[in-house]
Amino acid sequence: MEINLFGKLILLPTDVIAAWVLMIITGPLVLYWLTKKRAWPVIWDYATSTHHRKIGTVYIIFSILFFFRAGVDALFIRLQLITPENQFWVFQGDKYNEIFTTHGTMMIFFVATPLLIGLMNVAVPLQIGANDLAFPYLNLVSVYLFVTGGMIFFAAFFFNAAPNAGWTAYAPLSTSTFTAGPNNNYYILGLQVSGLGTIFAAINMLVTILRLRAPGLKLTRMPLFPWASLITSFLILVAFPVLAIALLLLQFDRQFGSQFFMGELGHPVYWQHLFWIFGHPEVYILALPAFGIFSDIISAFSRKNVFGYTSMVAALALIGLLGLMVWAHHMFTVGLGPFANTFFAITTMMIAIPTGIKVFNWLFTMRKGVIRIQTPMLFALGFIPTFVMGGVTGVMLASAAADMQYHDTYFVVAHFHYVIIGSTVLGSFAGIYYWYPKITGKMLDDKLGKWHFWLFLIGFHLTFFPQHLAGLNGMPRRVYDYTWEDGVFVYNFISSIGAFMMGASMLIVLWNVYKTHRKKEENAGADPWDGRTLEWSVPSPSPEHPFEKMPVISRRDPLWWAKLEKKELPHTENHRASPVSVKTVQPMFLSVALTIMSFGFIYGWIWMQILGGAAALASFVIRAFNDERKPAYEREEMDNEQ
Amino acid sequence: MSSKTMSKDLYGDKRMGFFIYLFVEAIMFSTLFATYIIYTPPQMGLYPGELFKLHTVVLASVFLLSSSGTLMIAEKGLDRKNARMILTGLLITFTFGATFMYFEVDEFYKFISEGHTVAKNNFLASYFVLVGLHASHVLFGLGWMIVLLIQRKLLPFNLFAEKHRIFNYYWHFVDIIWVLIVIIVYTPYLF
Repeated sequence: MEINLFGKLILLPTDVIAAWVLMIITGPLVLYWLTKKRAWPVIWDYATSTHHRKIGTVYIIFSILFFFRAGVDALFIRLQLITPENQFWVFQGDKYNEIFTTHGTMMIFFVATPLLIGLMNVAVPLQIGANDLAFPYLNLVSVYLFVTGGMIFFAAFFFNAAPNAGWTAYAPLSTSTFTAGPNNNYYILGLQVSGLGTIFAAINMLVTILRLRAPGLKLTRMPLFPWASLITSFLILVAFPVLAIALLLLQFDRQFGSQFFMGELGHPVYWQHLFWIFGHPEVYILALPAFGIFSDIISAFSRKNVFGYTSMVAALALIGLLGLMVWAHHMFTVGLGPFANTFFAITTMMIAIPTGIKVFNWLFTMRKGVIRIQTPMLFALGFIPTFVMGGVTGVMLASAAADMQYHDTYFVVAHFHYVIIGSTVLGSFAGIYYWYPKITGKMLDDKLGKWHFWLFLIGFHLTFFPQHLAGLNGMPRRVYDYTWEDGVFVYNFISSIGAFMMGASMLIVLWNVYKTHRKKEENAGADPWDGRTLEWSVPSPSPEHPFEKMPVISRRDPLWWAKLEKKELPHTENHRASPVSVKTVQPMFLSVALTIMSFGFIYGWIWMQILGGAAALASFVIRAFNDERKPAYEREEMDNEQ
Repeated sequence: MSSKTMSKDLYGDKRMGFFIYLFVEAIMFSTLFATYIIYTPPQMGLYPGELFKLHTVVLASVFLLSSSGTLMIAEKGLDRKNARMILTGLLITFTFGATFMYFEVDEFYKFISEGHTVAKNNFLASYFVLVGLHASHVLFGLGWMIVLLIQRKLLPFNLFAEKHRIFNYYWHFVDIIWVLIVIIVYTPYLF
């Protein structure tokens, strides 16, 4: 659509206009509804509190919001591909590039990663008997950085400048020579800001798990979700800094005239190395926490302890370690030479071994167990075969010679959706159903949950199984069109139907949440699932600093054994100090400052860069002079003088 | 609640968290070192040896490295709860750090005014990103020291000591990075 504004001709695609119109209509409605429901005090509480449950909830809510956004992108993609030579709305050519880039980037960085970090925030401190994360203030900063980065990325589309170089942003396509305009600057700044938040979250999680466990809760007595979080956090520490530097170098290429990744002087392959040194561990950053969630759920719903606990932990560690040495399997077709390709093919195939160990341990955990099939367990049961299929295609892709055929086809698309949806998305759904009473005090409806599961799982397999076949028949990824002669119509048609089934299942989730909160039901109680681990010993929703009476742990699954022996968990008054929580608006200020600075860099407005940067630095100083621990330390000084 | 050991417990948390953060920084810097090694010497433009000046590097190093030593005075002051030693240590360290920044800025200014900019070739680009990131760390450290100097009287001693010690780790880390810069960036092309 062409608009004549102040004598300037502006070209706007109709989807952007539609989005603006939709936002202008629904925005005030939502604000009105929130005011009518008197929700602002609650929102303000969640926006300024450092309580780990509330921060986890914010993580989850925003990831689900982005999940719907990126999911709608996926539906548009499927509508464009539903028949050969289709012309759906505006999604052809560069518009199609924008939509698959947004879909991929958003799903990985603003849905999968924060969804899991949110669940870690909710569950891990409770599972290990910590009163909060080690650095509550930093935790609030992390969640603000994630939301800020996500919103910067989200905004790109509204300014008709969605990134368009794929979620991998391969150079030289992503450099200013080939994609001028602000589009990929949004990618750089959005990921840079949220990536910093992820790093801080990982530091917080590591220190919490290593130092704040309840007395007697040795590492070897820890449930598997905290174990998975520990190893994931370590992977984040190695992976995300590399991404940060890669993005910085790309930004220099785009804005300051360097040529790291392009031209006669630069090496495009260097970008690929940096990106995948981050990108492959990222896959395990997404998968490992889901493994942890499934381990806990399968054990709780089979009323049995985890089979092969030691080998489960060892497998997690091994997957984490191997995950750092496989990045070049994304680059088999680059021509790194037979030695490199062989090395990375073998390390990749080796990952199947610890993963196999885990799969068999889950099966043996269920063996002779008293299995209850409720929604979280159903997701765990759906996960195992789905993920195994993704793993098998993974080993197929790992053979470098065969990969020449599969590379950049829909076979790869099918593979990574099987592993990431199979583990991360199913795992997050399972975790949300499982810990929902711990977050809100209410149980989600089990029947609707089962509808959600079946519709989602069937829709998922309908969508992605045919994509294997489309890929084997030669359909490349990231194309918006194909012909009747290509012979891939049927696969794409089925795939599109499946995608809409998955979309419909998400509406059931919305209905379920609405239904659960509509009626004033009584509290679900501390232990609705008859759980085994410590989080079920505290009231629901979990209060701030729930372990004032610190439990003393003498074995794995302490709550379960206490219940069996009909005894209370032993307590102690004498334990280490808890982190100091605070209500603060400072991270909000930092978030505004970083937004200003980011838009300054995206559009090259120097005054905004300076203003935002100075404000961001000022927030350090403000923080330094408003330390929440000052009163606590003063009290301690007085106590010690007496 | 055992509030008597609070500062000890929380300081332990913070120290571990900060060491992990320094690990993150180390990974960032090593990525930049790798970048520098890949793109140096450049295919076109001046050879690094023709650009670097030995006396600038030596002078900058002398000041920055000895600032790590003078910071020890403040550290001793923390152990002995000696306010004068803390003040002296911080002031000398600040002066040395600022002098280092003078040499850095001077070097950058010379390179840029002679036309050796980021856009010239990738050796210069990676040099500026790497050494520039280090210089901005020193600058951040200088600001941090000003904050510490003001906080001296405002905070309970345990909290001040905690913040001071964390800063010391930071400053020593920045120093170690400088040593690596001298070894990897300058030395191979100066001799």
